[in-house]
Amino acid sequence: MARHQKTFTVGWLYPDLMNIYGDRGNILTLLKRAEWRDFEARLIELGRGTTKRMDEVDVFFFGGGQDREQALVYEDLLEHKQPPLERAVAAGAGVLAVCGGYQLLGHYYQTGEGERFPGIGLIDVRTEAGTRRFIGDVVVDSALVDIRPTTLVGFENHSGRTYLGPKAKALGRVRVGFGNNGDDHTEGCLQGGVLGTYLHGSLLPKNPHLADHLIRSSLRRRGITDLAALDDTAELAAHEKILARSAR
Amino acid sequence: MRRTAAVWAGKATGVLSRFSRLGGGTTLPGDVARAIDPDVLRKLSRDLKHGAIVITGTNGKTTTARLVTWLLEGAGHSVVSNRAGANLIFGATAAALERAGANGRLHADWGVFEIDEASLERAVEEIQPRAAMVLNLFRDQLDRYGELEAIAKRIEAALARLPDDSHAVMNADDPRVAEIGLNLKRKPLWFGLDDPAVALHELPHAADARTCPRCGASLIFDGVYVGHDGLYRCPNGDFARPAPDLAATHIELNGFDSVALGVSGVRIELPLGGLYNAYNALAAFAAGNALGFEPAYIAERFRTVQAAFGRQERLEAKGRKLNVVLSKNPAGFNETLRTAVDLAGGHWFLIGLNDRRADGTDVSWIWDVDFERLRGRSRVVVPAGNRAADLAVRLKYAGVEAQPPESDPARAIDALIEATPEGETAHMLCTYTAMLDLRAELVRRGWAKPYWET
Repeated sequence: MARHQKTFTVGWLYPDLMNIYGDRGNILTLLKRAEWRDFEARLIELGRGTTKRMDEVDVFFFGGGQDREQALVYEDLLEHKQPPLERAVAAGAGVLAVCGGYQLLGHYYQTGEGERFPGIGLIDVRTEAGTRRFIGDVVVDSALVDIRPTTLVGFENHSGRTYLGPKAKALGRVRVGFGNNGDDHTEGCLQGGVLGTYLHGSLLPKNPHLADHLIRSSLRRRGITDLAALDDTAELAAHEKILARSAR
Repeated sequence: MRRTAAVWAGKATGVLSRFSRLGGGTTLPGDVARAIDPDVLRKLSRDLKHGAIVITGTNGKTTTARLVTWLLEGAGHSVVSNRAGANLIFGATAAALERAGANGRLHADWGVFEIDEASLERAVEEIQPRAAMVLNLFRDQLDRYGELEAIAKRIEAALARLPDDSHAVMNADDPRVAEIGLNLKRKPLWFGLDDPAVALHELPHAADARTCPRCGASLIFDGVYVGHDGLYRCPNGDFARPAPDLAATHIELNGFDSVALGVSGVRIELPLGGLYNAYNALAAFAAGNALGFEPAYIAERFRTVQAAFGRQERLEAKGRKLNVVLSKNPAGFNETLRTAVDLAGGHWFLIGLNDRRADGTDVSWIWDVDFERLRGRSRVVVPAGNRAADLAVRLKYAGVEAQPPESDPARAIDALIEATPEGETAHMLCTYTAMLDLRAELVRRGWAKPYWET
């Protein structure tokens, strides 16, 4: 009998261009937590020009980049990645999109001068440039019902203001920090299998319950509904540290 | 006279703050004096007999400034410099104040100032340096400065304002620095490494400047030295590493003990370890060259330089050797880890991570550091600093066995000493304020000197 009967595959969109905020932490967390449960964890790097094996991906990760890189990514996204990404999501794959990646999956990004850069419209959100940058710790009371603890912690650093349309649900409500736009107390979005957020820091290492939610949700289409429990003492200690620091 | 008042007020603040142990008085006097006379640094800089050199870049500023100062002092010049790593405009002002006389005049031949990337424009404008050095541009403290692109633009604006007869001494191996230099009207004095034997063949995870500034194609690296510094070219021929005016060859890496390199027909050796110090030495050599020093003199002088405070600082503690190494961002950390693990064969480690302003309040960058290098090599790792808990998670996902996280500096040092056998060396790799905290505890125990005495 093969040691690994099951696989778990992460697809990293633009690992060389969209990786400024320790995004590798999110990738490592997904892979390790699958490995520790005896999955064969695989990483597919989806750089510019390639769409290879996108149909095998369970969870896509799309991180943040700098303006110059983001513009390069945008062209490739429209030209190559959009159709296979839409197919994968329709078939039940998950997507975690952070910061710049989150914005690019929405309808558009509007600059301070009113110029609009269309996104791929995979999620019902729109983003407008703000004048002040939102920087600092964030604590969110999550809207997800299957995760314990119910809080999510991270660090935000963005000037975009993102507003949710009727099809997108908020990932949660901001207890500390600014979140989507600093006005409506929402943070992130949930729509189908897509989870968009401004939280990095890195997000998943300090929120192992969210990592497991992503893994579990994406595997449901393959008939896997339960994940073995892991010892999360170290991860939750780091989570608690942010809760304690931001409560002061 | 306004400047005399500013100098006196600043000097008084410095004495008071050292006396009260507020922190060595390295920047507060600058704040006070600038409040009284905003032009005080401009005026003091004009008093310098030969002029000043400013040094910027993400990593290596302090060590390079020390090397340049060492060259000048060896030739009998008096030098004023902001030695304690206080590299904002206030720190440079404070350093000048400390050396100013009662008449408000600065009596020194040279100024050597390390300047934070974000302060360079103002520093160039006020100091009017004879040379400006740009060492590298790595990802560092994105929470504080915005992104690399913005910093690169500010540096370019600063260099464009250099006096006509001044030199821009720049790292050809860094694609971001090269882009800045190639946009300048003046031709920079380029330095770079030319030794494939010490190059890596793929970019580390922390690399961040990988696209051609002209056509957007991903750059091809034929060799990587440190971070994203190496031998790069655009596949469409739109951009490539400029040919260095001063190239280092025959690099010898000897743990934390020394690094040697060949340049301009001489062999340079300095008692500091790691490939990153080859860059610092080469940069200082290039500056020395621009100022007219003979290669043979520079080589002789570098042999006896001492590490700057907290940069490979060697201490003794209960029969163990401690090596304190500042490691403040992914590029720096990867180099100090590589030096400690691969070159020095280290087994005992303390890793210190703080999230204060000087460290960067966002610690997500630890996921770009290749802590995997410690796996199977380290015998003990103590996660320390006020974000020790985050480090513990990082080490867990790197597959590195570690002690429980210990945020208290005294207990972290105890854990390290206890775990390290007598006669062996423990490496303490720390972010800036984590290093200050741990060092303060070492000073309290009499194992290190206070930093204003180093």
